[in-house]
Amino acid sequence: MKKRLLPFLFLLCGISLSAQNPSKVSIKGIVQDTLGAEQPFATIMLLNPKDSALLNFTRGDDKGAFEFKNVKNQAYLFKISFVGFIPFQQNIEPSANPINDLGALKMKPITKELMEVVIKTAKAPLSIRGDTIEYNASSFKVPPGSTVEDLLRRLPGIEVDADGNIKAQGKDVKKVYVDGKTFFSDDPKAATKNLDAQTISKVQVFNEKSEQAKLTGIDDGKKEKAMNLELKEEYKKGAFGKITGAIGTEERWASRGNYNRFNKKEQFSVIGFANNINQTGVNWDDYGEFKGQNTFNGNDNGDFGFNSGGNFMWFNSNNEPFFNNFDGRGFTKNYGGGANYNFDNKKKKFNLSYTYNQTGLDLDQFSLRQSFLQDKSFFNRDTTDRVEFRNNHSINSRYEWEIDSTNRLIAKLNTRFSGNTTEGIFSQGFKNDLNTNANTRYLNTQNNNEQDAHNLTSSLIFRHLFKKKGRSFAASVGYNDNASDGTENLNTLNQFFQATTFTEQIRQLNIRDNATRQTKSSLLYTDAITKKWFSESFFNYSNTKNDVNRQVQDLLKNSERIDNLSVFYDNGVLYNRLGTSVRYSHNGKNMTLGVAAQQIQLKGAYSIDRDMPLLTSPLNRKYNNILPYLSSSFEFKNNMYLSANYSYGIREPRFNDLQPIPNVNNPAFRTDGNPDLTPERFHNISFNINYWNPASFGNLGINLSTELFDNQIVYNQFIEELPNIGIRTTTKPENVAGGYRHNGYLWSSFPIIKTKLTLNANGGVNISNAPSFINLVKSETQSLGFNLGAGLTYVANDKLILGVRANANNTDVSYSIQKNQDQKIRNNSLDGNIKWNFIDKFFFESNYTYNDYKNDRFAFDQKIPIWNASVRRLLAKDNRIELRLAAFDILNKRVNIVQTGTQNFVTQSTAATLARYFMLSMTYNVKGHESKLKKNNNFF
Amino acid sequence: MKKIIILIIICSPIFAFSQQNMEGTVRYLVTHNWAKKLMAVEYLSKQQREKSMYMWGNRSEWKEYYLMHFNLNESKYEESEEKAERVVETYNWRKETFFIKRNYQNMATHEGYEILGKTYILEDSLYGYDWKIQNDLKEVAGHICMKAFLEDTIKKQKIVAWFAQDIPLPMGPERFHGLPGLIMELDYNDGAMVISADKIDYKKLTAELDTPKKLKGKKIKDADYQTLINKHIAEKTKSEEPWFWGIRY
Repeated sequence: MKKRLLPFLFLLCGISLSAQNPSKVSIKGIVQDTLGAEQPFATIMLLNPKDSALLNFTRGDDKGAFEFKNVKNQAYLFKISFVGFIPFQQNIEPSANPINDLGALKMKPITKELMEVVIKTAKAPLSIRGDTIEYNASSFKVPPGSTVEDLLRRLPGIEVDADGNIKAQGKDVKKVYVDGKTFFSDDPKAATKNLDAQTISKVQVFNEKSEQAKLTGIDDGKKEKAMNLELKEEYKKGAFGKITGAIGTEERWASRGNYNRFNKKEQFSVIGFANNINQTGVNWDDYGEFKGQNTFNGNDNGDFGFNSGGNFMWFNSNNEPFFNNFDGRGFTKNYGGGANYNFDNKKKKFNLSYTYNQTGLDLDQFSLRQSFLQDKSFFNRDTTDRVEFRNNHSINSRYEWEIDSTNRLIAKLNTRFSGNTTEGIFSQGFKNDLNTNANTRYLNTQNNNEQDAHNLTSSLIFRHLFKKKGRSFAASVGYNDNASDGTENLNTLNQFFQATTFTEQIRQLNIRDNATRQTKSSLLYTDAITKKWFSESFFNYSNTKNDVNRQVQDLLKNSERIDNLSVFYDNGVLYNRLGTSVRYSHNGKNMTLGVAAQQIQLKGAYSIDRDMPLLTSPLNRKYNNILPYLSSSFEFKNNMYLSANYSYGIREPRFNDLQPIPNVNNPAFRTDGNPDLTPERFHNISFNINYWNPASFGNLGINLSTELFDNQIVYNQFIEELPNIGIRTTTKPENVAGGYRHNGYLWSSFPIIKTKLTLNANGGVNISNAPSFINLVKSETQSLGFNLGAGLTYVANDKLILGVRANANNTDVSYSIQKNQDQKIRNNSLDGNIKWNFIDKFFFESNYTYNDYKNDRFAFDQKIPIWNASVRRLLAKDNRIELRLAAFDILNKRVNIVQTGTQNFVTQSTAATLARYFMLSMTYNVKGHESKLKKNNNFF
Repeated sequence: MKKIIILIIICSPIFAFSQQNMEGTVRYLVTHNWAKKLMAVEYLSKQQREKSMYMWGNRSEWKEYYLMHFNLNESKYEESEEKAERVVETYNWRKETFFIKRNYQNMATHEGYEILGKTYILEDSLYGYDWKIQNDLKEVAGHICMKAFLEDTIKKQKIVAWFAQDIPLPMGPERFHGLPGLIMELDYNDGAMVISADKIDYKKLTAELDTPKKLKGKKIKDADYQTLINKHIAEKTKSEEPWFWGIRY
């Protein structure tokens, strides 16, 4: 009685009496079920009626009674929650009495069916709106291919009759919406009979105004049951993409585009490009979008070794020709495209992609090389004029199957077909003195080269985790096949301006046929010795067969075979390595100490042609080595990481170098093989420190590494002056000790004014010693390189970003055989850039680089200023269109320059490449362009 | 007001309800989804966020275990030694100082963190949260839980907590507490991070609730902690980098 009276009293006196309400109130009551049985220990909450904020809570006693003592007398949303019952909810108003007795509060039980089926079995959350209950349909398992109707039949509280009519809580469902929208027709069965159950995430049942009420606009108070089927996120498909077209002066043009479609399980993308502005492939950003979730695959290397990685790699399958790999020289015309498909349902991952790209290259290059002997030096002046066409078809596939939580299988199959056609004219002038015009010899070669190659790599990796923590096993097998065949048509004029001037003409057809097949397998076993100590053992095996056939025909003599240039060799490499290591891993300290025994067996047989008698007795070399390995890394507080590593490396000689038959393609150059070569052996020591300070945003990295050769394969030269020919260089690979390379690198970046002004600096030093024998005299070429760079980035505001940078690159090369020929090679540059959003949706971007290439000895000093600038504007809804006017190399100065100095020579080469042009481009981006300046690119 | 809530718990008939063995350890499985964490970063355009989802989506998840030891009045949340993911481990990370110890009787908190490379020891009284109670029920590890909601405007996190109807402890993982039942699950930003209890072990505790004896670090109050975090988030947001590389999500 009292219970009924209270709200009534409120209605009566509500506002007028509120002033006299006590400021504090005690609220009490008893929790019961619908049958009147007391329910002990329920949770009672007082919420703010406006936003359901929790203001107070208590718990019922063993008799179901509860009391909030002296709480603020205000309106509350009163709530009781108890296991097995629909949460009880009631609005209570400020009380006129100091004690507000709510009396017996009756809670409705949640049907057993809902509890068992929805909550316990399907693990679906229940949403309660008044008396209505809504739940997550995706948790109900139905066989694949089931319709929504089949799903509804399984849902508690919903009935579907034989005709497909639906009832919810006993009432007819008059309307079915899909994602809140009418599905094709008003017939509620249209959706439920046709939609796949797997596409549905939620089923909501609610009361809706009747059709009549909607039509007339008069709410007749009649409510009809309606149902909404919410689609799963993963079936909400997404797509993005963009397309660009550009035309420019100097007959420049470019276009590219990509389009991606995806849902939660699948990704599909296409990409295409065509241009004559030296973009030979896609950039990193485009590649990531193209490959999607298959861009990175960790732990894919089946060549197990120390720390499960190792450098036991024979084929570099990661060499992706689809990337932009323009080296800065020449003019190219490029076309390419591809399609990629990814599937990923967490248990199974599958990727298949096809790419095609082609590049036509037009290259004019000029280079000057000075070679030193003890008492003199000579020069080669080369000009190259080359037209090249290359293309690649690649198909890559990868399948990863997580069989269960302890077993995983990875299978990879990649294949590539590539072709290359080159037509070139190469001329080389030999001079003893740069200042005279007279050549001692002049070589002019015209060659046409054609090559087709096919490449296949495949591997299968299986990993198993044992029950015991830390114990695992992995095995891999692989098969690789490389084949290439090609022809080279040589037409050489060799003019000698010695005591007697004469000209030699060479016309040869060079037919090559190479095939390499490799089978390999690796095993890895890891185990935990204690909590902190682990052991790892591995075994690698590989067997490589390599057939090389080079047949040279003399086109001046009826295509007769030239026996001293033709060679067929049949090689085999058998590689076995067994290694073991112990590792300590605990609390940021990780150390590995290991040792491996390695055997490399090389076998080679040489003849003039296939099925011809052997030229020399077959080569058979076996190299046994014990390789130690040490690695350690330490993680300190304050985000400092330190690591030190030592390994002993072995690199077996290349067959070309072992070949006992000399290669005399060119009378002025002779390459001798050396069957007595032993593998290169070197110590590898490295040391790293990395530090970052997340509070000041500062970074510091130091990297030191050294390679010390016990035994290095170097190419010794014997340079002699022959009557008629002039200078002839004979190169022979031999083992020499004493070579080294030391590298040191430091980089740092820290803000001078946080978020505004950042300084980046780096510096490096490289010291190397390359010993070799020049005319039987030991020559040591010491190279000392320094590089220093410093830059400032200034973010003035969201609209303006400025940057400057200076780089200095010095290399000093000194030759022990001719001290006075020491070279000082200098490449310095200065760079400035601006990004400016000067009016809304208008952007100006420009950069200016000043490069200075110097070599005093050649009196070479070339200054190349490069200035690029562009203005772009965003248009249309969501900034979908970008118009851009760009000027490249405004000063028309671009050429490519490379300077190097090693062994007994120094080279400097210059190639013409794309200089000034202006370009107008338009890009349409499905999702719209970024309308603000990006401060960072590293958001991944 | 918030303090009152806690007082009420202490004084309410909770003791009548209490069982002899209201003591033990909850194991929480913490699932991080890096791509989803980036989805809530405001300075990235929708396209950039979708791109990171496209490239990393399913592969950006990693899991770890945390433990919460509790008795009637105290709780302590810390990292578990146990690995949640079975992988061949070749590297072991340094264990950071981290614990959150609460005493609900004295309304005191004692927390240890490494924030931006420095160790801090926070000791203060316990502050509450503005939970909104919602009408949803769900089962977590065998307990029917009710939904509560909270928004962190600084970290830009929408946090959903599921608290047990039948475990009358106002405790929870991370810094969260103050609900009428034990927080069994926390969901940040729709799956960016989910902390979900998967096992409750009722047992007599020995030293699990003790805080580390040797603790070196700067002593701070709750307000200092908030200032530190707010400043870092503001700076990182300004330079358009994710803040959660340096501090706890």
